[in-house]
Amino acid sequence: MAVDYVHQFALLVLLNLNRKVTKIQKILVVDPEKCTGCRLCELVCSAFHEKAFSPIKSRIHIIKWDEKAVDVPMVCQHCSKPVCVDICPTNALYKDAKNGIVVVDETRCIGCKVCVLSCPFGAISWDTEHGKILKCDLCDGEPQCVKICKFDALKYVKADKVTLLRKREGAKKLSELVSLIVGEGFYARG
Amino acid sequence: MEFKGGYAGKILWINLSEKRIKKEPLPKDLAYNYLGGLGFVSRILFDLIKPKIDPLSPENVLAFATGPLTGTLFPQASRYIVAAKSPLTDIWGSAHSAGFWGPELKFAGYDMIIIRGRAEKPVYIWINDDYVEILDASHLWGLNVLETEDIIRRDHGDNKIRVACIGPAGEKLVRFAAVMNDKCRAAARSGMGTVMGSKNLKAIAVRGSKDIKIADPNRYLKIIKEFQQRMLNNPFTPSRIKYGTNNLIELMQEIGRLPTYNMKQGVFEEYHKISGEYIRTHYLIKPRACFACVQRCGRHTAVPEGPYAYVGGGPEFEGLSALGSRCGVSHTEAVLYANHLCNLYGMDVISCGATISWAMECYEKGIITERDTGGLALKWGDPELLVKLVKMIAFREGFGNLLAEGSWRAARKIGHGAEKYVMHVKKQEIAGQEPRAQKSMGLASATAARGADHLYAFPVLDEVGFNEEIKRRFGEQYLPEMADRLNPKYKGIMVAECENFAAVVESVGVCKYGTMIPPEFYYEDIALALEITVGFKFTSTELRKIGERIVNLNRAFNAREGVTRKDDTLPERFLKEPAPKGPAKGQIVELNQMLDEYYIHREWDLKNGLPTKKKLEELNLSDVVGQLERIGILLQ
Ligand code: SF4
Repeated sequence: MAVDYVHQFALLVLLNLNRKVTKIQKILVVDPEKCTGCRLCELVCSAFHEKAFSPIKSRIHIIKWDEKAVDVPMVCQHCSKPVCVDICPTNALYKDAKNGIVVVDETRCIGCKVCVLSCPFGAISWDTEHGKILKCDLCDGEPQCVKICKFDALKYVKADKVTLLRKREGAKKLSELVSLIVGEGFYARG
Repeated sequence: MEFKGGYAGKILWINLSEKRIKKEPLPKDLAYNYLGGLGFVSRILFDLIKPKIDPLSPENVLAFATGPLTGTLFPQASRYIVAAKSPLTDIWGSAHSAGFWGPELKFAGYDMIIIRGRAEKPVYIWINDDYVEILDASHLWGLNVLETEDIIRRDHGDNKIRVACIGPAGEKLVRFAAVMNDKCRAAARSGMGTVMGSKNLKAIAVRGSKDIKIADPNRYLKIIKEFQQRMLNNPFTPSRIKYGTNNLIELMQEIGRLPTYNMKQGVFEEYHKISGEYIRTHYLIKPRACFACVQRCGRHTAVPEGPYAYVGGGPEFEGLSALGSRCGVSHTEAVLYANHLCNLYGMDVISCGATISWAMECYEKGIITERDTGGLALKWGDPELLVKLVKMIAFREGFGNLLAEGSWRAARKIGHGAEKYVMHVKKQEIAGQEPRAQKSMGLASATAARGADHLYAFPVLDEVGFNEEIKRRFGEQYLPEMADRLNPKYKGIMVAECENFAAVVESVGVCKYGTMIPPEFYYEDIALALEITVGFKFTSTELRKIGERIVNLNRAFNAREGVTRKDDTLPERFLKEPAPKGPAKGQIVELNQMLDEYYIHREWDLKNGLPTKKKLEELNLSDVVGQLERIGILLQ
């Protein structure tokens, strides 16, 4: 019996080693309500990728409406059906089958910039200095912007957790609304 | 010594009279000996501004400078400084602000802008990287700060343009007009907006797309992330995020330091109506951060309806106390609105509120009557009057025209003993710190280079007794006296050292929150940040010496204008009248004792309060000795 177990265990290990590593897809979630507009994320992004501070070369940008105090982080969503991938004439942009990240192969990019024009989020920009496109690569699985954002405006979570997260936040707002209408004591009164 | 990062590397010279624009590389020795920000402007303006000139004449020079850490990842590295000879104090003038303008200037490729002369007609400066232009501003003249920024952005079709500008107050040469940037951020004190107005310069609009290099990119991110974490873990950070600086109202009430009724007293019965908690729960929309800040003390507030309706940035503690308790006004919405108007028109809230409260006390005493005010009854606490006076000052209408001169000049015109009630040092109004309740603040106001000022030294270590920090920064031998805000002992040493450090902080371009209060980062942290960002290797002692050099240079600037020990004083109220109520009841400010200690620690001449020859030479300021001697100021 014991030998059987050992045998089976060894088999399992072997199987796992041979299997192609498929990470569960994680995505970068943005919450504009929590964003304070500090732009630390822009700085750290450029410091990490460009070894310099250069908001314009950052892969994430904070778009602001100062008078309304609205700050929206704009960054590549690594779409399921990416327009940029579809439109790229040289297939320089492609979706990595392993982890679902939209990646650029710089050797194939001819600099036509159609991706820059086509992205609905404006998440791809053009680096005039080096003549290349700039887009988020999720920093090899450890997005620097998420790490530096101390206000949870940026989160890096498993794709299936996102809807749950959103539901929870929606529910929280709803419960606040309920207590606003019927008063704090509503649940206590049962 | 070479710099490998941090600096943008260029100085922009603009002569408005001659419409000339010149770009020069940043001199290495200037960077090494003066760091940036306050250091740069102190050195350059000492050399460029001739003694005794009229601050509102084209001869005055206006300089904007950033530091080597401005625009980097160091916590709260977003500051710039603007300096000139002050039209309010007639001595050294400077004001600093954060927001996004300073970093943008660096991304455009400039560490500093030096502006000379005066434009014939209203103009603004447009900087888009290497492209710099002086443009017509006749369509902007008369507009408020919000409109100015919006129209410049619209005209250039770019929403990311950052604007530093003046409002109507600066145009009308109100003596305490501010330079406003990013709509609601103010480089407020000592009338730098007034100087801009006198030069017919409405705004400086900036857009930048260049890099700031990092000297040691391999070590950089790891070290700086630790700094960020330290800031975040600091026990003060959560309350900054929650209240901004507004809950200082509660704190100052508690220690009896809340300026009330023109600083007659340090407690305000209705303080809770202007308190941090009250504003947070009733008017706060969202806390908003300056560039690279994790403390986000910036507030975005709104009064949704009624006569005082607005949406906008602010308030901050100084605005609440100056326009609120100081004038006895507890009508929250009126105070918020008055603060908002100061932002719109571009005025220093401190001097504005303090001047109004001075007039109110003179009215109470019968020195100012309705004949002077054109029929206005200047009663304490009147919310409508407050809002009305703010407008009248900004546009110099009626009685506002007199108040727009600042309380010191206004009192001279009124006479009849009105001078006695001016709460000023060297003609600038004292900020929101009732000095009888915190002796160090009294001394700091008396010695600050730009006239009464809490920020030049920002001695807050005794505010709530930072014993551990005092031990770390000064040594155990100074406890417990140094930590006791009512004890004058060791305050001379504390204020002098705080001035030195604050000068370094203002020079490298980081915020005093995080360095002065909470006292998280000190010389060694700045030194490390400079090493990995710029490539300069300084010891703490060397950095301290730079700070000392800057303070001495500011003092020399003022000495040229005639300042000596006799000017380092406080209004009689604080020296002779014991505080009437509150926790500091019975206290006066023992100024002379503290001053002696201060000059001795500075190794200055005890009699005239000026730097000695030996001191200046030791700080490599021998040329300054020569300059002073040439105009007849003999140093010991
Ligand atoms: S770091 Fe976070 S809070 Fe700051 S701008 Fe970026 S997303 Fe917003």
